[in-house]
Amino acid sequence: MVPLLAPTSLDNCLTRNDWICGLYYSTRAGDLQTALVQHIGIVLASVSLGLVVAIPLALVARRYRRLEGIIVGTTTAIYTIPSLALFSLMVPFTGLGHRTVLIGLGLYSLTILVRAVLDGLDAVPDEVRESALGMGYNPRTMLLRVEVPLAVPAFMSGLRVAMVSAVALTTVGSILDYGGLGNLILEDPTFKAQVLAGSVLCVALAVSLDIVLVVIQRLLTPWTRA
Amino acid sequence: MNTKLVRRLAIALVAPTLLFAAACGSSDKGATGGKVTIVGQKFPEADIMAALYQGLLDHAGFQATVQELGGRDLYLSPLEKGTVQISTDYLSSMTEALNRQANGDNAKLVASHDATATLAQLNKLAGPVGLTALTPAAAQDANAFAVTKAFADAHHLSTLSDLAALGMKLKLGAAPDCDQRPDCKLGLAGTYGLKISAVVPTGFGTDQTKADLKSGATQLGEVGTSDATLAKDGLVILTDDKGLENAENLVPIVNSAWLAKHPQAETALNKLSSMLTTSDLASMIASVSIDREKAADVATAFLKSKGLI
Repeated sequence: MVPLLAPTSLDNCLTRNDWICGLYYSTRAGDLQTALVQHIGIVLASVSLGLVVAIPLALVARRYRRLEGIIVGTTTAIYTIPSLALFSLMVPFTGLGHRTVLIGLGLYSLTILVRAVLDGLDAVPDEVRESALGMGYNPRTMLLRVEVPLAVPAFMSGLRVAMVSAVALTTVGSILDYGGLGNLILEDPTFKAQVLAGSVLCVALAVSLDIVLVVIQRLLTPWTRA
Repeated sequence: MNTKLVRRLAIALVAPTLLFAAACGSSDKGATGGKVTIVGQKFPEADIMAALYQGLLDHAGFQATVQELGGRDLYLSPLEKGTVQISTDYLSSMTEALNRQANGDNAKLVASHDATATLAQLNKLAGPVGLTALTPAAAQDANAFAVTKAFADAHHLSTLSDLAALGMKLKLGAAPDCDQRPDCKLGLAGTYGLKISAVVPTGFGTDQTKADLKSGATQLGEVGTSDATLAKDGLVILTDDKGLENAENLVPIVNSAWLAKHPQAETALNKLSSMLTTSDLASMIASVSIDREKAADVATAFLKSKGLI
């Protein structure tokens, strides 16, 4: 038999393992802040990475319509790979570091972002395009000055979905010790105060980012306001 | 207006990426032993072991960082390649992981209850893939089976053989795969002759497994030997007197090429292994998972109390 020391615990909300625990917030504020900052960093970096890849892909898909099915199909197929499996498959190539998580999450955002860019551009009315052609715009200036601004509302709704979905998926990065708030949750799933704090911050972050994007969209498209 | 919009969009997209890259780019240099990455799994016991290794290696002049990962599969190949250098590992689990890697998923099992024999097997498997097993600690987190203290006292039980001698039918709370495992139901029935009437799949050492024991829904529960909450819950482990369970001593696994260049790491880690006992480990786990102290603080306090740092 293994001799086990009788615990000489103090009685407080940490040792009682309460869901809500003031002592937890006061003693681990630093950990929560570090995890939250890391979470925000991962979300912004992975969605930005997704955009850098998604925009050219969407433009190619739009220019060569035969490729559209392949591009949209491939990015959707990536989305169906379970995140645990994707990260494990990538580790031999991208290592145990941050790269694997960022690339993985970036790939997941592609399926939403490529469609968002395509939907945005498709939302531009044909008569607007024809007028622009009639006014002497060439394809490049028409894209930048006419189509992009009109595509913003549809594109932004896609970006909002991608951003919120990235907030949730980032927690899976904790299997590589790079999952922001997910690290706190996976560290000890029986630690109720920590699991609750991590989850609540995750939801709050998703809502906050969504609000920020709505505000940005309004600022970018003043004409949509009545 | 529209070019301005494009520019604003571009800034909005690019700025966070650059900021983030800048934040990741900083690193500090100095110290003597160089950088070393310790990997392990992500649960309190592994956190504590990683923090102990980190404290020892920092003291020996290294700059150690810890990466806690979701499973051994994630770090095995990076450890063999040397992109990470040390893992906090378990004797039999690591032996069988390397055995599966070398001989396929259906390889004949080579780990056993005998720590010395298992270490010999581990060394045989680790060498060819560029890994070295350092000295295992006496401390181990093996599978074990617990009953309530009241039940053990009433029937004067201290071993699994004592329990089998009672000849009573028992319900067992255990991992869902217990029915097919030689170290679980099959072994309890075959080796000890226990009469297991049902396996209740509540998991290995979970709160539910312990709650069922206390309520009497089960009589026997599968737990870990380093579980710190057993005493508090009024449970005791029955000794595995016929050697059913594999030896799961805590053992540092190190990349051999790195170790050849940094022999002082072995000296530092062996100091811990030569003295760490299961009850040391259990009381540190209690500090983390009951008192909710931080693993790093608990590890540092332990190393100081033993004069290791």
